[in-house]
Parts: sequence; C-alpha cells; structure tokens
Amino acid sequence: MKTKNILAPKKLFPDFFCVNCVIVFVIYIVMLAVLILASSIGFGFLPEVFDGPRSIIGKFITLLADFKPLPLLVVFLPLLGGPIEAFMGKRSENLRDTMVVNSTFVTFLLILLMYPHVVQGDLAYTIPGVMGYGLSFKVDMLSYIMSVTSGVLWFFVTIYAHDYMGIEHHRNRFYLWMSITFGGILGTVMAGDLFTMFLFFEIMTFSSYMLVAHNQSRESMLAGNSYIFMGVAGGLCILLAMILLYAYTGTLDFVPLAAELQSLGWIKYVMTALFVVGFGIKAGMLPLHIWLPKAHPVAPTPASALLSGILIKVGAYGILRLSLSIFMPNLSEITGFTDPLWIVSKNLGFMIIWMGLATMAVGVFLALQQSNMKKMLAYHSISQMGYIIMGVGVASYLGYKGGMGFAGSVYHIVNHALFKSLLFMVVGLVYLRTHELDMYKLGGLWRKLPFTAMVCLIAALGITGMPGFNGFASKSLLHHAIIEAYEYGHPSFRYAEIVFTAVSAGTVCSFIKLFGLVFLGKCPEKYKNIEGEKGMMDLAMGGLAILILAIGHAPNFLMEKFIIPSARTFTYEAAFIDKYLVNINFFNYLELIGMVWVYALGALVFAFGMKLNLFHIHMYEWLDIERSIYRPMYRGVVSASKGFTNRYEVAIINSDVVIYSFILTGVLFVLLRFA
Amino acid sequence: MNSTHFPVYILLILLITAIIIPLKKGRYDGLFRIEMSIALGLALLLSFILFMDVYRTQAFYYTFGSWDSTIGIQFLVDDFSALMTLVVLFVATLIIIYSLRDIEHEIQKEQLFSYYSLIFLLLFSMIGMIFTNDLFNMYVFMEILSLTSCGIISIKRKKENLLASFKYLMLGAIGSVSILMGIALLYMVTGHLNMLAVRETISSVWQLYPRNILISLGFILTGLGIKAAIFPLHIWLPDAHSNAPTPSSALLSGLVVKVYVFAMGKILFRVIGQDIVKAILVPDYLTYFAATSMIMGSVFAIGQKDIKRLLAYSSVAQIGYIFLGIGLATELGFSAGLFHVISHALMKSSLFLSAGAVIYQTGKRDIRNLDGIGYLMPVSMGVFSLAALGMIGVPGLNGFMSKWYLSLAVLDAGKPVFLLVILISSFLNSIYYLPIIISAFLRDSKERENVMVIDNLPKSMMIPMVILSIACLLTGLFPNIIMNIIEKAVPTFIL
Amino acid sequence: MGGIDVFIDNINYIGAFILFVIGLYTVLTHSNLLKRIIGVNIMETSIFLFFVSIGYIKGAQAPIIDMALGDIVYVNPLPSAMILTGIVVAVSITAYALSLIIRIHEAYGSIDLNDILRPKEGESNE
Repeated sequence: MKTKNILAPKKLFPDFFCVNCVIVFVIYIVMLAVLILASSIGFGFLPEVFDGPRSIIGKFITLLADFKPLPLLVVFLPLLGGPIEAFMGKRSENLRDTMVVNSTFVTFLLILLMYPHVVQGDLAYTIPGVMGYGLSFKVDMLSYIMSVTSGVLWFFVTIYAHDYMGIEHHRNRFYLWMSITFGGILGTVMAGDLFTMFLFFEIMTFSSYMLVAHNQSRESMLAGNSYIFMGVAGGLCILLAMILLYAYTGTLDFVPLAAELQSLGWIKYVMTALFVVGFGIKAGMLPLHIWLPKAHPVAPTPASALLSGILIKVGAYGILRLSLSIFMPNLSEITGFTDPLWIVSKNLGFMIIWMGLATMAVGVFLALQQSNMKKMLAYHSISQMGYIIMGVGVASYLGYKGGMGFAGSVYHIVNHALFKSLLFMVVGLVYLRTHELDMYKLGGLWRKLPFTAMVCLIAALGITGMPGFNGFASKSLLHHAIIEAYEYGHPSFRYAEIVFTAVSAGTVCSFIKLFGLVFLGKCPEKYKNIEGEKGMMDLAMGGLAILILAIGHAPNFLMEKFIIPSARTFTYEAAFIDKYLVNINFFNYLELIGMVWVYALGALVFAFGMKLNLFHIHMYEWLDIERSIYRPMYRGVVSASKGFTNRYEVAIINSDVVIYSFILTGVLFVLLRFA
Repeated sequence: MNSTHFPVYILLILLITAIIIPLKKGRYDGLFRIEMSIALGLALLLSFILFMDVYRTQAFYYTFGSWDSTIGIQFLVDDFSALMTLVVLFVATLIIIYSLRDIEHEIQKEQLFSYYSLIFLLLFSMIGMIFTNDLFNMYVFMEILSLTSCGIISIKRKKENLLASFKYLMLGAIGSVSILMGIALLYMVTGHLNMLAVRETISSVWQLYPRNILISLGFILTGLGIKAAIFPLHIWLPDAHSNAPTPSSALLSGLVVKVYVFAMGKILFRVIGQDIVKAILVPDYLTYFAATSMIMGSVFAIGQKDIKRLLAYSSVAQIGYIFLGIGLATELGFSAGLFHVISHALMKSSLFLSAGAVIYQTGKRDIRNLDGIGYLMPVSMGVFSLAALGMIGVPGLNGFMSKWYLSLAVLDAGKPVFLLVILISSFLNSIYYLPIIISAFLRDSKERENVMVIDNLPKSMMIPMVILSIACLLTGLFPNIIMNIIEKAVPTFIL
Repeated sequence: MGGIDVFIDNINYIGAFILFVIGLYTVLTHSNLLKRIIGVNIMETSIFLFFVSIGYIKGAQAPIIDMALGDIVYVNPLPSAMILTGIVVAVSITAYALSLIIRIHEAYGSIDLNDILRPKEGESNE
C-alpha cells in the first residue's frame, strides 16, 4: 500500500480547504451556542437578532423549520450529495473535501432547524404507498438526540478525514459511501415505523461495508466478509421478526403494543429474541460481536471513528426503540409498576441486562490483552456498548420505573460517541505520523504531539469517568440504574454492581496503559524526528474535546433539555423522573468517593499487570467464539454445499428419466389413496 | 378503440414476422433490425392497449371463428393474462434489442435468420399459452414452445449445447406426453376440452370417476413439473440455460419457465378447482417440493463456478418461491406467487444480460476470474449488483417486496415453517451472490489498474440492461402498481 | 366372466398404458440416444391410441353425416382431429431430435450416452 501523502508537510499559506474549515467551524460553534440558548430561554431572543434588514433570514428560517418534509430533506441531502461529491472528486480533491464538509454542515444546520417542531412533538412526515407500506419519518426527542450526535460526529470526522485520507486510495469511493452511510443513519434514527427503519438499516449496512473493506487488503476483505454476512443475517432476523409482528398485530408503527402482544404466547418471545439478535449484531453485543474487532483496525481511521461512534449505537438505538414502543404498554392501560402488562418488558430486560454485563466484562478483559491500539479501542467500544445495552436492559426491566436506565443509556450514547471518536482520531494521527499501531513500540510522543497528547488525556478521562468530564455523568447514571435494578428487581443484580465497578476499573487501567505507553516515557529512536501536529486534524479533535469538557462541566444541561423531555414521551412514571432525574446532583459525595476507589483499583491493576506481564495472556483457542462457532458454521455450509454439488450434481443430471419415473409413480401412488 | 381482437392481432404479428424473416434472404443489417424492432414494438403497443382496456372494463372471452366453445378454441383475456402478456413482451423486447448485437458473437451469420424466426415463434407460443382457455390448445402451444426453446439453445453449434438441447428435448417430450395423457384422461370423463366447461362438470364427475381425475392430475403435475423445473425434475435446466446464447438464457429463465408455472396454476385452480385440489392435498405437496427447491437450488448454486450455471440454479430456487405461493392456495399466496413471477422475470433477465455483457466484452465466465471487473464494466456490474441485491432481499428492490408478500401469505395460511425456509434461502442466496459483487468491485484486477471506465459495449446492449434494472428498482419502490392489478385478478382465478 | 369382459372392453386403454410403460422402460434402460428417441415415440404413440379410443362408441356409425339415416350415434370425431395435430407434433419432435443426434455424432463421435458423458465426469462443473 503506497503511503504517499498528497499534502505537502509544511504549508506557508493555508489552502482553501483549511480556510473553509476554520470558517465553518466557527459558525458551527456559534450555531451550537444558539441551540443552547434557544433551549434554555426559549426563542425569545431570536426576533431581536433577526429584526430589521435581516428579517428575510428569519422568515427563511421559519419557513424551513415549518417545511413538512424536512426529515426527508435531511436524509436525502447526504444520499444525493454523495454521488455529486464523488463526481467532483475527479476534478479536484480539495473541492470535493470542501463540498463534503459544507454539505455535512448544511445537513447539521437542517437537523438543528428541526428543533422547534421536535419540542412541540409534531414532526412527522409520511409518504404513503412507497414499497407497499409507505415510508414514514417521525422525529421525537430520542431520534433528535441521535441525529444531532451523528451530525456533530460526521462534521468533525469529515474535517479530520481530509488530511488522513492522503494515505489511502480510492478516496472518491470513500467519500461517496461515507455520505450514503450518513443518509442511511439519519434515515434509521428518524424512522417512524419499523419498515422505514429496516429500509435505511439495510442501506446503512451495505454502505458501511464499503467503508470497512475500503483498503482491499487481505485482512480488510476478511473483516468485510464477516461484517457483511453477519449484517445480512442480522437484517434477515429483523425481517423475520417484523413479519411476525405485522402478521400478528397488523401494524409496524412504534406504538405501545404490549396489550396486544400479551395474548400471543411464546411467539412474542421468538419475536423479541429475533429483534435482539438482529440489532445486537449491529450493536456488538456478546456473542455476536466478532465482526467488531476485525472491522475497526482495518478500516481507515475516519471510518473506524464513525463505526464506533455512531453506527454501533444504531443497534442499541434499535433495541431501545423496540423495548420502548412495542414491548411497552400504553400509559392509559397500566396501573403502576406491578401491572402484569410489563411482563414481556421485564423478561426482555432481564436477558438484556445480563448480556450487557457479559459484554462489558469480556470487552474490557480482551481490550487489556491487545497491543494494537485500534483493536484495543474496538474492544473498548464493545465494552462501552455493554454499558449502554445494560442501561437499555434496565430501562425495560424496571418498566415503569425505568427512567434512570433510559437516561443513562441515552446519555452514554452521546458521550461515548464523542470520546470514542476522539480517541480514534488520536490514534489515527499517531498512525499517520509514525505508521505504527503497536502501543508497546511507541513512547514519549508528547514532545512531538503535545496537543494530541492533551486531547487524548481529555478523552481518556472522559471514558474512564473522571468528574468534570462527560463520562462521569453517564456512568454515575448507569451505576444508579444497576443499583435500582437490584433494589426493585432481582437480587442477583448485587453481583452486577460488582461487575460494573470491576469493569470501570479495568477501563481505567487500560487507558493508563494507552496513555502511558504512547505518550509518556522514552521516545524510541526512529520516532524522534516525526513531523508534528496537523492543522485540520487538530481542529476536529479540539472541537470534540471542547464538547467533552462542556458536557462534563454542565452535565445537567443535556439532561434537562434533551434527555428528560424524551423520557417523558414514553411510559415512564412521571413522579419517578421528577424525584430522581430532574435536577440531579451529579457531583455528590458518594459518587466522587466511588470514583476515587475505581481509579485506585485501576492503577493497582495496571501496576500488577505490568509487573507480572498479565497483559499478554493468550487465551485457549477453543474459547475464541469465532474459531469454534462462527467459522465452522460458515465453512460448514459452504463446503457442505460444494461437496454435495460435486458428488451429486452429475449423478442427478445423468439419471433424469429415472427421477421422472420415480416421481410419477410416487405422485400416482399418493394421489390414488384418495380414490 | 375496441380491443376485442387484439389478442389475435398480437399473435398474428408475431407469427407473420416469424414467417417472413427467413424469406428475407438479405444481409443481417440495420434495416432488418429495424423491421424486427418495429414488429415487436407494435406488438408491445397493442398488448399495452389491450391491458389498459381490460383493466378498465372487465375480462372477456374470445372465441376463434365464433365457433361454439365446445368445439372451438377460446381465449380468456382477463387482468392477469393481459398483464403477463405485457410483461412478457416488454422483457422480450428488451432482450431482443440486446441480442441484436450480442448474437453475432455467439452464432454463425447464416443462422441468424433462423434464430430470430425461432424467437418470434417462441413469443407467439408463450402469449398463446397465456391467453388460452382450451386444454388441447394449451398442449399445442406448449409443444411449439418446447420445440422453439430447444431450438434457440442448439442453434449455437457447440458440443455441450447439442447435448443439453437433446436432453431438454427428450425430457420435454416426456413431459408433454404426460400432460397429454392427463388431458386425455380428463377428456375421457368430462367430455370437454374447454377449461371452464371442464370446471363446470368436474364436481359431478368427481363423485363418479375419482380415479381418472386423480391419475390425470398426477400425470399433468409431473409433466408440468418437468417443464417448470421443480426440484427433482429440474435436471435439464442447468445445462440448457448455461450453455445457451445469452439472450436465449434470459428468455428461457426469465419468461418461458414462468409460463409453465402459470399453466400449472391455471390447471389446478381453473380447471380442477380448489375444492377438489385441496381435498386431495395437492397444494401441500406442492409446497414441500417448493421448499426443497428453494433450499437445494441455492445449495447447488453455491458450488458452481461458471456464472451462467450459477444463475440457472438460482432460477431453480426462485421458481421454488413461486410454487410456494401457488401451493398455499390462498388469495394472498397466489398474489405473492404471481408478483414474484413478474419480479423474477425482471431480475433474472437483468442478471443474465449483464453476465452476458461481461462475457461479450471479456470472455470471462468463471467467477473466480472476475476480480476488478467492476472498474472495467461499471454499468454491467452495477446492473448485476442491483439485481443480485434484489435476489438477496435488500429493501427498495422488488425481490424484497415479493419475499415480504410471500411471508405474509405464508403466515396467513398458517404454515410458519416456510417462513424459516424463505429466510434461510435468502441467506444462502447472499452466500453466492455477494462474493461476485465484492470481487468485482473490491479486488484489484491482475491485468489492469482499477480506474473506472465506461463499458465498451454497444448502446443497444447497455440500454436494455439499464432499463431492466430501473424497472426492478421502480417495482421495488412502488409495488402497488402491480400488486393492485394482481389482487384484482386473483379472485377470478381462484374462483 | 365379468373380469375378462371388463378387460376386453377396455383393452385399448390397457394396451395404451402398456405401451406407455414399454416406452418409458426403453428410455430408462438404454443409453443409446436413438433408442431413447424411439422410446419417446412409443410413449407418444400410446397416447394417440388412448386418445383415439376415447372417441370410440361401440356400435356407432363412422362420423360422416348421412341424412338418410336420421338421428343415430356417431363416433366422436374430435379426438381423431386432435390426434392428427398430436401426430404432427410427435413427428416434428422426432425429426428435430434425429437431426440433433446426427450433429451430436459429428461432435462427439458416438451416440451412446455413456461414451459421451464419461470424459465429462472428471470435469464435473469446472
């Protein structure tokens, strides 16, 4: 693979792309500030700003915000922009990259514009008759959170990608499929019923496959194979569950259906299992996670950042959506926490909580064994997805009182998107400069890459849950959630809390390892003269770091303005939300002491690990699920088919008339029984 | 305009063109092609007008020469026959336009006239079979169809073609013989050959002579099973469809086999009627054979290395879907099966045409040699990928919609086991289609650099392929256009 | 003697079935292409016999209308008319198959199925 870098290392004048990015970045920060103000104090301040000669802008904005098919526009802008940008890329790379950044920015603006209607709760748009069932988009607060997160993420990643993609081939193809994936993700999260969601889910799977297999190296193709086949299998599971749901309840909308489902017997468990498996493959849930650690190292870093940042969240979002809508009863139908209509939700939640816990634990354990930085981050993604899945599980397990689990998982989705993509960007920059992914071979890079080291520290503190950074808020919410599961539910969850703490400690240990080995210590000879920071990549990383710090210092803002309103739209006990979630004090004494314990434990494990060389354990081969279950299954099918064909095909073809006589006599014999 | 006589006009145009072609002993040049295209276009136009007319008004019976139905031949022109004729002519026109350039590479110049004559006779017999309401008439058209379809395979003078065509002929003859025996037995007890007349008398006959009807049904089903390629009787299909020239494969796989399926549906439900058929459990057995077809067709396809043979086995699996729909014997099932007839015709034709384009330009047939071909021929591989994704069941394409309708029909009929079979077969489909698409676009070709260029194909080959894949996409996004028509037509079918 | 009577009355049909089975047996057991086609021909002939026998009514007049005889029973002419078509079809199939056999002989050098297919067994689907 040639690694020619198309950009000259030291430019005296910033080129067109950089100028464009800086401008867009500044406008972006301004728009975010506007959004923050708008959500805090309402829109009162807007007419003043847009009075006078700029009232045209005001009118235009209200016109656009009231535009009925706005969700459709948001989805199709990247879908159609992708081919246009790929076409532009043939003429000029800079032009194409600028167009990508700008179109992502415009899409983000459009997403922001949806806010007024989302708050009112009436942003829905249907196109009847398409595909027999009709497409429908419905943006409620939960979808809105997901779309804003993906918009934010995409924006920063496109700025980052411009510099990184210098070392990759087929750049046009990469941007084309990246835009289509963006459209697919937006469509999936903004879907108003299962059918639309499935359509965009499949589009997303196939277009992200092209991102994973982009390098066309042998490992990429193998990783891509496992990704696409598991993706197709997951899609088929979801399709089967959808068909069952439609046949038995007659609707695919996201409405509370627990009452109808109650009478169905064991079919509803088949449905839930299929949905969980289908979305779980995408979310990287154990034991369906095997594609993740293979796909992330081989994909180009911007793609890994997107994959970990938002794509796998869509899997968790799917499970969340289903447990919130289809398996939840209507507010009017239940009498409280112990209403029997919660049974399905309870069983579903129980299973999901334990799978989430298993995912967390296995993810962290395997992450500690890795030396490839990207693979380690991939396993951490699995582990953090375990947190989110566990939160989703609590939300459905506790049913009426599940507000805490819901809040925790949604908050963690947002946070993880931010810090995981930042971590991938850091690793990407290190790779760009040193061409080395093994963390044991690096060291002392803080001298050469000081800004990167700082943002890496910020992200690491975020993921481990240091108070003052965003991870703290979501992790403490999830911690509360699992304690509640123990209090209101099954006593076995006491051990769940222990697992939770242990996994957090493991995360701390792993990131001490990463930061220490890569940035601190002595710098090996061959990296003493690498080039320094890269302007635009630092801009992107800096933007994400700012967001992490902002959320970390004001965790209640996200709660009040976005998460709690979305929790209220579902069947959660309002009194519970008011008592425990509104104005929650994140920085209370107990939590802070708890974090100190976690950090101490993590540092201890790290010290032990390095001393006793515990980080290079090679597991037994038969424990590797992939080798013992998946690959034999796949190989079995293919080789059985090929063997069968080779042996029997010619024989069957040569014995044509014999078969005819057999069938004739058989058919006559069977039929004549009725004479 | 009164379109009562249009069925005959369409048949006459095709027949006369078929007869005139060998008389024009001129060169195979532009004028000839234009004349053929005009004839086809005229037939297509007439069928379109006929379809719109029947859709707006109602079905009608057309008797030839105004003879009474007991001794004359009658055509039943209803919604679905008109739709199917339209689809057949549409796809056939595109395939023939494609073949105008492609065929020069496959058969010798002297044979070209015979080839096109055979194709027009093929179309003539297919449309006749779709419209006919008379059993013996169906047999005659079936024989013409059988002979001409063997003809368009063996016209390419390679060794394997001759053998494949011979096998097809022999098995087809055995099949026709069985069908004729079945028709004879039916005639023996009912005294009518007109399908409706048979239907009217059959309930009384069933009490008197059940054995005759059962034996007759057995013979007819086996005979039609050979011709329509249900699983164990599909044997002739891989050799025949893979060795034939590309336009012939597309016609055979996409259209000819479907007509036989339609004939089986007609006989089971229009002649014998669903009361008797359900009482003797024929639909159930049909579904078992269909399920076996679906799985075994894909299993055999996974083991293939020649791309056309792979597509032929894939046809076997897809025909299993159609039989599943028909075998459910409910309205939903029948509509789903008929919808899949149309969507498979579109998809399989695009697949065969694009595979043929690849063979035309590069001569490569083995799927292991197709690395990087997506960059050399993006349009062909794009068409191939779109149709293959439809086969796998990606939403947005018509394959997904037919799987959706079929699954709902299966659940409606109360047989959820087949749901699993449908989905397993979709997954098996992906096992052999995805590697082709992946290696076409994502593997570096060993011979050239992966820079994208436009295919080096004549326009008359590219445009039909693109139109077919656009049709796949449109019917996938808006299946209501076709589904409404089918749902309107099905109740008259099942009667 | 009821059994023999039934047998003799329906001897046409029974004969047709026997011919059918003979034809099928020929196709099944011979590997020579020519013999297979003859087998198919025999099967077709059996069908013709069957069909024509359907139309026969015992003691009826040949189907040529004679006004002098008034209203009597005629043998059904319809099957015979149809069978003429059928015979034409059978002849054309046989002719086509025979020409194919000639070409196969030119291409492969033999018309025995075992000889033709044996070298192919080694290749299977390569």
